[in-house]
Amino acid sequence: MLELIESLQEIKKDIELLSGQTLSDCYQCGECTAGCPTAFAMEPVPSQAIRLLQLGKFNEVLNSTGIWLCASCNVCGERCPRGVDYGKIADALRTIVLRNKLTHLTLEKIDKQFISDAPQQAFIAAFRKYTT
Amino acid sequence: MKQIAYYPGCTLYTKSKNLDLCARETAQILGVELKELETWNCCGAIYSTVQDDLANQVAPIRNLIEAQKISNKLVTLCAACYNVLKRSNHNLFLPENDIYRRRMMNFLDTEYDGKTETVHYLEVLKNDIGFENLKTKVKTNLDGLKVASYYGCLMLRPSDELNFDDPDNPTMMDDMFAALGAEPVEFPFKGECCGGYVLVDKPDVATRCSQTILESIVDAGADCVATTCPLCQYNIDNQQKLMSKQFNLPVFYFTQLLGLALNVDQKILNLDNHYIDPKPLLKQKGLLK
Repeated sequence: MLELIESLQEIKKDIELLSGQTLSDCYQCGECTAGCPTAFAMEPVPSQAIRLLQLGKFNEVLNSTGIWLCASCNVCGERCPRGVDYGKIADALRTIVLRNKLTHLTLEKIDKQFISDAPQQAFIAAFRKYTT
Repeated sequence: MKQIAYYPGCTLYTKSKNLDLCARETAQILGVELKELETWNCCGAIYSTVQDDLANQVAPIRNLIEAQKISNKLVTLCAACYNVLKRSNHNLFLPENDIYRRRMMNFLDTEYDGKTETVHYLEVLKNDIGFENLKTKVKTNLDGLKVASYYGCLMLRPSDELNFDDPDNPTMMDDMFAALGAEPVEFPFKGECCGGYVLVDKPDVATRCSQTILESIVDAGADCVATTCPLCQYNIDNQQKLMSKQFNLPVFYFTQLLGLALNVDQKILNLDNHYIDPKPLLKQKGLLK
């Protein structure tokens, strides 16, 4: 679990700087969630996550499982009528967790047979997004 | 013969030899030499959108610099490599990223003006060779084969950075199959994500994404699927073993079907490297002896 030691203003600034997005631009239409292929398993879903961030509930989002399910497919960013890219926000949130030395994925968690079967591209991408 | 710099990427050298070898061979037949970069490194497999993450852009930029020794274009086949190489170059050379660009060049101790254009092999087929021209080179017409062209996410989005095809209704691969005599099948999930690297962390989530795509393809009446990405291929071919429905639908690389139409040797087509055996379908259609 990530315990934030920075002030709320600082963490908001970090998210906006790392993602290049302005949280207050989102007007909650839900287009990102509607198009997201993994939203069925996400908690919170993309539009909810942005709303929680707007309300300053950073701990809740940073410690959620939802941010790790983004597959970087960019449907949300492509379709947002306000030009907000949730994929970039998810990347920024994961980066904050990872830079606090909290690795999401370890090699031991992965099935051995799967490691020998799957294309290495999958592992390179996963370790880039899920490890420090 | 016209030479274009070629970047295979990590997976094409091992798990996806069929994607790589068929492309080299078909290009040769069509009068283009895909000249592999003398030295190259992995592109990183996924683009990092984190604004200060300059370290992750070093690998792709290094490949683009290396390409300059051969041509101003760099051809890739893997959708992930295409996405990473093209976006890295596009974003590093935006005017507002001047400071990052200078830092990168200082680190690499070289000068590079961003002139290497990353192109996908499909774009070479369309623009350099031409689908009309391709039609005249077909030896085995893929007549009667209903192909669902699955583009996935990495070739199409973000469209303002990649500018590959219509991000909602791409047609480039369909047009290529039409030129080969096959019947392109329309389905709504052409650009839907297969689950990608989420497979490594949460296989059940990724498998459900792939299953949604396969259901849509089967409903549209396709005989088989064609992809451009090794991870898409794995997700929608191999993961069929874990799905709640049996599809038994073969998943090709687009270069394999292109190779089949141009009578490329079966050793190069490498039709054994699939979870769902595609040979019975091809025999049934009279495309394979």
